[in-house]
Amino acid sequence: MSQLTLDGRQVPFEEGETLYQVARREGNSIPTLCYDDRLAPLGACRLCVVEVEGYGRPVASCTTLAEEGMVVRSSSPALEEHRRTLIDLVQSENPTGVEVDPLRGAQATELAKLAERYGSGGTRFAGSTSGRSRHDDPNPMILRDYDLCISCYRCVRVCAEEEGDHAISITGRGFATRITTEFDGFLEGSACTFCGQCVQTCPTGALGDQRALRYQGEPGDLEATRSICPYCGVGCSLDILTKGEKIVGVRPALDGPANGGALCVKGQFAWEWVQHPDRLKEPLVRKDGELVPATWEEALDRAAEGLARVRDRHGRHAIYAVASGRAPHESAYTVQKLVRTCFQSNQVDNCSRS
Amino acid sequence: MQPTDSELIQRWQGEPAPLLPLLHAFHERDGYLSDDALRAVSQGLRIPLAELFGTVSFYHHFSREPGGHGVTRVCSGPICKLRGSDELIEELEGAHSMACSGRCDEPIGVLRGGEALVGHVGGELGAQPTPLPAPNPGGVEECCFRSIRVEGRGSIEGYRRSGGYRALEKARAMGGEALLGELEASGLAGRGGAGFPTARKWRAVREAPGGPKTVVCNADEGEPGCFKDRALLDHDPHAVIEGIAIAALATGATRAFIYLRYEYPWIQEKLERAIVEARDELGELAIHVRRGAGAYICGEETALLSSLEGEHPFPRNRPPYPVTCGFEGTPTAVNNVETLASVPPILDLGAQWYAGLGLAGHKGTKLISLSGDVRRPGNYEVPMGLPLDTLLHEWAGGPLEGRRIEAVTMAGLSGGFLGRDDFDVTLDEPALRAKGSFLGAGGIMVFDDSRDIFAVAREAMAFFADESCGKCFPCRIGTRRLTERLSGEGPTDPSIWKEEVEAIGRTMSQVSACGLGIAAPLITTSLMRLFPDAVDAHLKRP
Ligand SMILES: Cc1cc2nc3c(=O)[nH]c(=O)nc-3n(C[C@H](O)[C@H](O)[C@H](O)COP(=O)(O)O)c2cc1C
Ligand code: SF4
Ligand code: SF4
Ligand code: SF4
Ligand code: FES
Repeated sequence: MSQLTLDGRQVPFEEGETLYQVARREGNSIPTLCYDDRLAPLGACRLCVVEVEGYGRPVASCTTLAEEGMVVRSSSPALEEHRRTLIDLVQSENPTGVEVDPLRGAQATELAKLAERYGSGGTRFAGSTSGRSRHDDPNPMILRDYDLCISCYRCVRVCAEEEGDHAISITGRGFATRITTEFDGFLEGSACTFCGQCVQTCPTGALGDQRALRYQGEPGDLEATRSICPYCGVGCSLDILTKGEKIVGVRPALDGPANGGALCVKGQFAWEWVQHPDRLKEPLVRKDGELVPATWEEALDRAAEGLARVRDRHGRHAIYAVASGRAPHESAYTVQKLVRTCFQSNQVDNCSRS
Repeated sequence: MQPTDSELIQRWQGEPAPLLPLLHAFHERDGYLSDDALRAVSQGLRIPLAELFGTVSFYHHFSREPGGHGVTRVCSGPICKLRGSDELIEELEGAHSMACSGRCDEPIGVLRGGEALVGHVGGELGAQPTPLPAPNPGGVEECCFRSIRVEGRGSIEGYRRSGGYRALEKARAMGGEALLGELEASGLAGRGGAGFPTARKWRAVREAPGGPKTVVCNADEGEPGCFKDRALLDHDPHAVIEGIAIAALATGATRAFIYLRYEYPWIQEKLERAIVEARDELGELAIHVRRGAGAYICGEETALLSSLEGEHPFPRNRPPYPVTCGFEGTPTAVNNVETLASVPPILDLGAQWYAGLGLAGHKGTKLISLSGDVRRPGNYEVPMGLPLDTLLHEWAGGPLEGRRIEAVTMAGLSGGFLGRDDFDVTLDEPALRAKGSFLGAGGIMVFDDSRDIFAVAREAMAFFADESCGKCFPCRIGTRRLTERLSGEGPTDPSIWKEEVEAIGRTMSQVSACGLGIAAPLITTSLMRLFPDAVDAHLKRP
């Protein structure tokens, strides 16, 4: 295995690894803003610069491949000064004093954390701001609060490289660069499929999950519970965000084996029905053509009676069960158990299989 | 009859690098790029609509407003500004400004639709041929300009009559290896700015696996104060074509592009005609002319390749370098016009001859575009190592009556300022680098004691801010912040002002992703070093 020197230590690396990957594996916390593991490195933020002996200038570690015998320094007074200047510059292009709620997206507080690490208050290098929010976009899912945008292009890249939608792009140039859709329009009507991946990679909260943001004021600590999306057979891993008893959002698991941080519109945004006031809270049975509240005993008896009648009259193959993707995994399991054991049939399915 | 959408698409669909010419075809047909035109191009070339929409907006000269193609654009480069381009814009109805259009040795450059004109305040606009370089004032032997003044040199007959295509024949007889050896001995290095040894670049392409290999002639000449490539392309197009053919021979390339800046529209026809005339000389080699659409960064070789490929024209990360992974991933030699035009005389007269043209151990010559406050602005071919003083005062006649030269910019704007104490420097990279500057593409703009250097610096930084591609943070934000600080905004306390300007400059020059952001702060650092009084005067606000 090849080796290089990182901050005075010999470290191994594999062919094709970047300096950033090697350093991170070694536990080094090189700051980044335009980096997302899943995307081709762009080399835009320049925070990840490191010094390599024999090179005239620092190089971006995210775009530089490790080479045998390289002597690399990931931190030095000069590097730290560049990083601080870069953080101050990027802070200066946005309004100061904005609190970014972590509900905006999985990585929404990345910039805020770096600003804290480098003690950047957003006042050095003050000048004009670069973002232009699109609060006129009426879509109910993705907040486009570009006042906070730092032009890292992670959203554009994830849309193209991961989702393949190519719905958003870069318009203008230099400081006037903005994130846009075709003809500067709304997301609806563009090629956007509302998978929300742009939201989840955005390091500033410029893109936010509008559904989750409705629960900003909800009291309680934010907790994440790992689960699997029930809607289809892909089986995307996700984290269900809760405050107290309330679901307040869903985030893709960046390390999900089936999805690697991706979700589709259903898994990402279709969860609010769980606590919707229109949901049934008690069993109903039909009496004289009207649905009326009943006890569980009565309702179960009625269902068992009906199913048994069908089986007795038409045979076990007359019964076919489809579990709902909106029901919990445990219910789906119970349904198939019921059909297989009670009705001795394999005629069971789940709407998620489609 | 106007061609239909599908006729235009069919015309370009199967061609290499089709996006720019197809957009130009729609732009010229309709007078702008309509939504429908973008939809048709998106479908025809299978480019996602959002990306096409974004990329079109990157280029200054593509208009999305009806009639935008025909709008009058007036050069507001540093020299035209001194000549009154702001007043000319006022005078001409509906006129806009444009970045330096490469005509600093003429009256103010103006574009109207496909027409390139010149004019001055209170005068008529008119077309004017590119000035021929004056006979060498130092009486020294030249390489690139050696035969440019020969009558009829621009036609293939005239070119052949004055020795043209002899070098190509010789190169064929020598074969690639011997040719590279000869070039190496000549010491020829890139004349587009970076100064990379040409033989080494070509050898790398020759030895790189994969193909088809490609040669790209970089005729984007977007650096303010540079107009030497225009003189070569206009008066000696076959020299450039012969250079491309030799490059193809040396590298094994089977196709070539000339990426021509938008502001030289008439040269496109000239080049295309010359390529047809040279058909027998070129054999299998196909040379395609592609016209840019107004973007200084597209002169940076990797942004140029992105632009050719129809991508968003951001510079690419290196490595891999174009020599292994260039146009559409193939090994590619990108070379400046002057570099390529130097090759035929070098092969014709020999490496020793060329190397011997330089002074004091430096090899060869360099074209300098000299403009501004001197008596005889224009293009000069200087021996490497010529003192700047000699060029300014002897060759170009010195300052105007009653004036004194205060400052010059080097490498167009990218090399920042040199002041009077620096004028003894010799024109070669090591000497200039020792002064904190560089020769680059060889544009030198001269400012005398009637000029406000602080204002020149502000315009220069505004140019870099306008042209920053927006990819990397230090340049995207830094050029803007420096421009603001040179425009009276930013901190009012002079010591904080200076601290900020220095800190931004340090980080830009060290960690920017390409040469634009690396070079831009030379303007502010040299301004503060050479003209501290001018800076202090501007910082003294009520
Ligand atoms: C911002 C920027 C603009 C450039 N513009 C040009 C240009 O207009 N023409 C050119 O030949 N080289 C330009 N270059 C240099 C090219 O990247 C490249 O080095 C050159 O074309 C290589 O050719 P050469 O080796 O023959 O010089 C530019 C570089 C930068 C960073
Ligand atoms: S919206 Fe977010 S992800 Fe997209 S460029 Fe701006 S900061 Fe980056
Ligand atoms: S419905 Fe969407 S988010 Fe859920 S598993 Fe399927 S693809 Fe993943
Ligand atoms: S230095 Fe400027 S022009 Fe070059 S990549 Fe960065 S932003 Fe673009
Ligand atoms: S992480 Fe390397 S440049 Fe942004």
